[in-house]
Amino acid sequence: MVLALEHVTRTYDERRALDDVSFTVRPGRMTGFVGANGAGKTTAMRIIMGVLAPTSGEVTFDGRPLTREVRRTFGYMPEERGLYPRMRVLDQLVHLGRVHGMSRAAASERAAGLLDQLGLAERSHDPLQTLSLGNQQRVQVAAAVLHEPRLLVLDEPFSGLDPLAIDAMGDLLRSHAAAGVPVLFSSHQLELVEQLCDDVVIISDGRVVSMGSADDVRARRSGRRYRIQVEGASPVADLVGGITGVTVVRGDADTVLVELDDSVDDQALLSTVQAQGVLREFAVVRPTLAEIFREVVR
Amino acid sequence: MNDALSAWQAIRVIAGREISVKLRDRAFIGSTVFMLVLVTAATLIPVLIQQRVPSVRVAVQGAAAAQVVERAAELGRQAQESGTSLPPALAVFGEGGLPSADISTVEVTQDGSVDTLVRNHDVDAALVGADLAHLTMLGAQGVPSELDVLVRAAASEIQVSDAATRAGLSPDQVTALTSPAMPVTVLLDANPTGEVPPQLLVLVFAFLFYLSVLTFGMSIAQSVVEEKQSRVIELLVAALPVRWLLTGKVLGNTVMALGQIVVILGAGLAGATLAGQGQVVSQVLGASGWFVAFFLLGFVMLACLWAVAGSLASRIEDLQATTVVMQVLVIVPFFAALFAMEPGPVQRVLSYVPFTAPLLMPARVVLGNAAAWEPVVSASVVLLTGVVFVLVGARLYEGSLLHTSSRLKAMQAWRAGR
Repeated sequence: MVLALEHVTRTYDERRALDDVSFTVRPGRMTGFVGANGAGKTTAMRIIMGVLAPTSGEVTFDGRPLTREVRRTFGYMPEERGLYPRMRVLDQLVHLGRVHGMSRAAASERAAGLLDQLGLAERSHDPLQTLSLGNQQRVQVAAAVLHEPRLLVLDEPFSGLDPLAIDAMGDLLRSHAAAGVPVLFSSHQLELVEQLCDDVVIISDGRVVSMGSADDVRARRSGRRYRIQVEGASPVADLVGGITGVTVVRGDADTVLVELDDSVDDQALLSTVQAQGVLREFAVVRPTLAEIFREVVR
Repeated sequence: MNDALSAWQAIRVIAGREISVKLRDRAFIGSTVFMLVLVTAATLIPVLIQQRVPSVRVAVQGAAAAQVVERAAELGRQAQESGTSLPPALAVFGEGGLPSADISTVEVTQDGSVDTLVRNHDVDAALVGADLAHLTMLGAQGVPSELDVLVRAAASEIQVSDAATRAGLSPDQVTALTSPAMPVTVLLDANPTGEVPPQLLVLVFAFLFYLSVLTFGMSIAQSVVEEKQSRVIELLVAALPVRWLLTGKVLGNTVMALGQIVVILGAGLAGATLAGQGQVVSQVLGASGWFVAFFLLGFVMLACLWAVAGSLASRIEDLQATTVVMQVLVIVPFFAALFAMEPGPVQRVLSYVPFTAPLLMPARVVLGNAAAWEPVVSASVVLLTGVVFVLVGARLYEGSLLHTSSRLKAMQAWRAGR
């Protein structure tokens, strides 16, 4: 049950919100969808859910083009809100369950169970707008998973949550992924994505700039970046900066972060710096997602 | 499980939510109760007013005064008895044009103070005098008009009869003088007793339609914007086709609007039945068939457009601007219909124009100046217009529903509609 976007393009008047976007969301894995504001995350998610139509390209699930009947089995959480502010919490969930084809009885039972699980049982007869933002967000998640979806698409599920709620939300999404459901979520909190995700898709200006498993993305992006610490040869930056093919990213008296182009042999560099003083560190540096993100988006 | 969701089931779920939200809406409940009270009062109060016979307390001093008041009381009683067979508007007056009244008397001896009784409002008026030719009526600020008329009639009748007897006329001749035969008024197109004038009935129906379309239309538009503003619409659209959503919304609100009208009419009819106005009940029931049919068609025709007006807005605050056209489309036909209440070519034409037809065609049926085929043709015109509006509305709705960032123009929505 793989969700795949194939060469999806979407234009608004003149502007290209999505430009030939292709990526997959695999079963049993959490896929983080990362991009700056306006990069096209929400547009892509809306196209997956059929809320928007792509200008060209296609979205498939399990190899077949998506229909409304298939999409009805997906769980979706729109950006910011997505519930009736003045409707009671339980009534609201039951209604959305029925919209997704559940019987009233089944929806009631499941909704009550979820609210209990989320610690909101005693608020189930209150209007949604009387709940705190964090609790509203929990109800929102309950609405997305109510009908045991075959795919979860969540737009910024972590925004506005306190650290404990973030953990709870993470656990909940994990449990669905562990049950074999593909989970796609967008977030600005890159540390969180790094910590939670199996796969990452980075999007910038409507184009996918990097994707794959989180480890792969980091490894691929790490390129040839080294941290070198030498004692007694100051400044290190002057020492290595003179070598052709070596670029200093940043550095101070003892330590320097350098990037090597393909012409430079790292072993030769190693012996060069070793000859200059006491070598304390010579290490390949893997960038964090946040670093990669800043770099590719710039 | 999921694939089994049919269009009808989904529409029912959407309509069901609209209904349950309405049933919990304080404004809706409040306005319904208010209308119920208004209608019940409107049916009961005129009846109570009509049947009230004024009771008057009169102090009398002197033999002549006593004789006159006694006769006046008799006349007032007769007027009551004869009045029951007359139309309500005339029921307060008896056959000879005399008002009905319950007159009770308080005898005051020659040395008693009549003035004090009148001033203290122990009696409504007093009649003083031992001689028929010199009677005085005393009142505090005024004298009840019924009493005034009855006393004058009684006094003149007694004097004429006395004079006639003195002149030696036979008892028959005396009767002819004192109770002359009056011409009988016969109305050729008279309404049966207790019937409401048809113009009034039409006005009430028109007002109910106008009020219902305006309040429900506004609430449809609001509920659409609420879904847009809260982005619930994204969840719904991901699961259900937009047309089903629109249909469910319109259906739910139509059921509630129709339900409200039926309850209000029912309360009015129940009130009329309790007040013994059986004629009104059968008259209204007879007229309400076409009214309800046109109400239904007219409501559905406009409901889709109200939903579109809501979907063109992106926030509640925009609604005033996007619903202006709709408000005009409801208010202008309402006043046009009021001004075209008199039968004539204008009324005939307007009763076929889709916006005014729901008001004027049932009116023509009730007023009795429409041929049997006319409401059928007019209803078909409204129905066809409704179908066109539903199709246009659905496309505009689809085109504008997901545009959440700013207000839309109808043309933009049309182009965006798939």
